[in-house]
Amino acid sequence: MRAEALKGHLDGILLAVLEPDPLHGYAIMEALRVRSDGQVDLPTGTVYPALHRLERAGLVAATWSQAGGRRRRVYELTPAGRRALDTERGSWRDFAAVVSALLQPVSLAANPS
Amino acid sequence: MSRPGRPPVPGLRITSEKRSRRLAVPRGQPTAGSGRPGVAALPCGQAVERYLAEVTARLPGPAKAHTGIVAELRSGLHDATDSHQSAGLPPAQAVQAAIHEFGDPGLVADGFLPEIAASHARRVATVLLVTGPLVGLLWLATAVASHPAIRIATLWQWTTLPADLGAGIQLVAVAVAVTAAAGAAGIAVTGRLTRWLPARPRRAPLAAAIAGFGAVGADGLGLLLLAAELAAAPGRLSPLPAAAAAAASVARLLIAKRAAYRCLAMRASLARQ
Repeated sequence: MRAEALKGHLDGILLAVLEPDPLHGYAIMEALRVRSDGQVDLPTGTVYPALHRLERAGLVAATWSQAGGRRRRVYELTPAGRRALDTERGSWRDFAAVVSALLQPVSLAANPS
Repeated sequence: MSRPGRPPVPGLRITSEKRSRRLAVPRGQPTAGSGRPGVAALPCGQAVERYLAEVTARLPGPAKAHTGIVAELRSGLHDATDSHQSAGLPPAQAVQAAIHEFGDPGLVADGFLPEIAASHARRVATVLLVTGPLVGLLWLATAVASHPAIRIATLWQWTTLPADLGAGIQLVAVAVAVTAAAGAAGIAVTGRLTRWLPARPRRAPLAAAIAGFGAVGADGLGLLLLAAELAAAPGRLSPLPAAAAAAASVARLLIAKRAAYRCLAMRASLARQ
């Protein structure tokens, strides 16, 4: 699954990845791969601007931290970010339900048994 | 927050055939010739630095403004290299795989353009909104010191001024209002509102540019009025506040003009994406 397929949902996906724990940029990318079973394949360099945008919107907070001799920028969900993630989940469920209903073969939809 | 139907996050549009092909290559398996010529021969750190230089060469503004971005990408590239090395790649190949994984430098730079434009616009708008009232106070001090008839009076009482000066002050007020409105808009759309507004990265630099030209107008008109007063009745002006106000306005005018043109340039580079 590449960038086009994720259109408009990257923000929500990044918030979801950050929900359990704060993570730095590359760990976010690895979490995306693990959680999508390797299906998400974005150029890693493009995830950083998306994180900066979320930070500007106040949905994540970033702090520099020093670990193992390497400085990393660690991202954390803000309370507003958690609320936004809930909203995103809700609207995705609604959207998915509508599209699933519409994509169902007509024979099944017409004769619910 | 993104919702269905909202424009994609800038920088994630992957349109060219070449980029699709690059992404289709399995991770950690750089194909023969996928690296740039000569890169493979470089020590790991140098290959990363060369990649970072390619990204920053495409970013607008002074290098000092991008140190945070570069430091973050660098630590990410080192993390990626570590990850590929622990997956079994030798160091030189691991660094190539990391660079390959980060993607085309142009694509990465394009992704940062809206963010750089937004933070520049926000800074310009903030500086203009903060300096405006300070410079305004200096002009007010000049007016009060030079025209003893004006006590700290309400604006409409200033209509007792000579007609041309009164008209000039009204024009200044219009320019100040434009600057304040555009500056406030520039700050608003680059902050928390980003959550709800559709992503239009060219909006913020436009607002900041309008604020900048508004400030050029306000300060320029102030200086013109001062020149007119000097020509008409040089003895009437109180020299110290007048000199301070003029100096402040000249400085603000030059800064605002430069910032406004830079915002327009950033807006143009966003249009080309």
